[in-house]
Amino acid sequence: MRSFLYFVLFLLLAIIVTVLAAILGNEGAWYFAWLIGTTMIVLVSAAGGAMLDAHEEHLAQSQSGEQRPQS
Amino acid sequence: MINGTVVDLSRIQFAATALYHFLFVPLTLGLSFLLAAMETVYVTTGKPIYKQMAMFWSRLFMINFALGVATGLTMEFQFGTNWSFYSSFVGDIFGAPLAIEGLMAFFMESTFVGLMVFGWQRLSKGQHLAVTWLVALGSNLSALWILVANGFMQNPKGAAFDPITMRMHLTSFQQLIFSPDAQSKFVHTSIAGYVTGAVFVAGVSAFYMLRKRHMDLAKRSFRIAVLFGVLATIGVVTLGDALGFVDAKAQPTKLAAMEGLWRSEPAPMPFNVIAIPEQSEQRNIDAVQVPAVLSLLVTHSLTGTVPAIDTLEKRAEQRIENGIPAVEALKALSHDPQDASAMAQFDAHKADLGYGFLVQRYAPHLSEVTPSEIQKAAKDSIPPVAAVFWSFRAMVGMGLLMLAFFVLATLYSLRDRIQKKTWILKVAVWMIPVPFLADEAGWLVAELGRQPWTVYGVLPTWMSASTHSVGYMAFSLIGFVALYSVFIAVEMYLMVRAIRLGPPEHGGGDAERPLSRPTLAPRPVPAAPYGTKLEG
Repeated sequence: MRSFLYFVLFLLLAIIVTVLAAILGNEGAWYFAWLIGTTMIVLVSAAGGAMLDAHEEHLAQSQSGEQRPQS
Repeated sequence: MINGTVVDLSRIQFAATALYHFLFVPLTLGLSFLLAAMETVYVTTGKPIYKQMAMFWSRLFMINFALGVATGLTMEFQFGTNWSFYSSFVGDIFGAPLAIEGLMAFFMESTFVGLMVFGWQRLSKGQHLAVTWLVALGSNLSALWILVANGFMQNPKGAAFDPITMRMHLTSFQQLIFSPDAQSKFVHTSIAGYVTGAVFVAGVSAFYMLRKRHMDLAKRSFRIAVLFGVLATIGVVTLGDALGFVDAKAQPTKLAAMEGLWRSEPAPMPFNVIAIPEQSEQRNIDAVQVPAVLSLLVTHSLTGTVPAIDTLEKRAEQRIENGIPAVEALKALSHDPQDASAMAQFDAHKADLGYGFLVQRYAPHLSEVTPSEIQKAAKDSIPPVAAVFWSFRAMVGMGLLMLAFFVLATLYSLRDRIQKKTWILKVAVWMIPVPFLADEAGWLVAELGRQPWTVYGVLPTWMSASTHSVGYMAFSLIGFVALYSVFIAVEMYLMVRAIRLGPPEHGGGDAERPLSRPTLAPRPVPAAPYGTKLEG
């Protein structure tokens, strides 16, 4: 039941977003571009931060892997 | 007739307060979304370092936000106190977006700012993230409504003048908010704010990295900021080009001033990279030109042309001559609103009513206007070319400088070499003032380029001001400049102090009370390595 309610909620959100996108795309292409662009900029930069973590964790793991046989 | 000195002082006062205010606004616009990016990583990965980052940068955000609000409030009052004719003439249109900004965006932003700062212990991670995103959205929605109002001043859409009430009234709210000028100005300004936020975060993070302080926080903040900045700078450059394309149609005099374009030329038109515009002689002294580039930049075609100042002045003369009967008809209608012949005369000439007002500065009695007065008014229809030309070049130059910086910084950061490249870290620190200066230069292009109009082509600046005395205006101007200089000094002091103290749980302030007086005694750096959970 909970999954179904989530499905309905996200479906409604998707419909609202699609309608807004259609209106904005037609009347205010710049505003639409801003919404998409801002979301993209935030998510790409957030992903960049997460990527740095992944890289450092990978480095730490490979360093500990190299040290283990010596000890 | 309003005293010319009073008009000039009113302009200087508004320009001064706006320039001060615009030092705070872009950082709020950009930093709010950077906070959203940091907190998004915190919520998705659960790593406490990102919470510390969000808390630290939100402290700096709050300092800037508080002083931004303080400097912004007086500007709205100035419309009523110093620009009363303007407020009466276009208040029905201009007031609507300003009211929406106050009631919707600013209230939303202010409410959620409180939750963002004090809600770390009271809200769940997801709720707090939603609040941070709403602060960012609210800040930018505030800018949206202000720029819708400003877009109307640049290119009046969705309104008509009523000769009976002698005021403009709103005919289409949709046209007002979806006007190409409002849209393009909003996206350009908002994303310029992102660039400002990104340079600020990158610069402060570089400062920490150079001093080997708060390395985990600084490296991550730098990485997020440069990625944010490189995308935003690409956006701001391309949107700036598009804004120029919009202005070429809506405000040809601004474009001609931006490009120092005195004489009309056939396509493809050359671009003045550097020139010394001389307004009195209507020519450029020692221009460095690149062939064909102006046509390409402004019309996106090699065969396109744009009108130069000589053509625009001739057009203005014709429009002034056509506008004079409209003003005369308006005078007749003010005595007898039922005068059908006056109404017919007004309808026939109303498109150029503003140009009729323009010449009234020189000829209060329009029936006695001379050709030389018309020529003088036509010359006035051109903005101050040198100021607009150089402000534009300063803005573009600094924009390209920031693009080059972000490309390099992103490259080094992605290769994880940024700590070894101390020169670029030093450059990052020195870059901090650049976006603020670029923002101010951009604002000067937009507002000086609109002159001599408060509402382009409709209401001249000379008749928009209030009828204050020179002494009153000089006194209030000195008061504003002194007060706002104190605000800037307070902002600088608080920012530098907060940056020197550093982030919470890194030997700096108090992690759980981000706005309380920071503890000066250093705290031990947590023994747990980065990535392990520090909180309960």
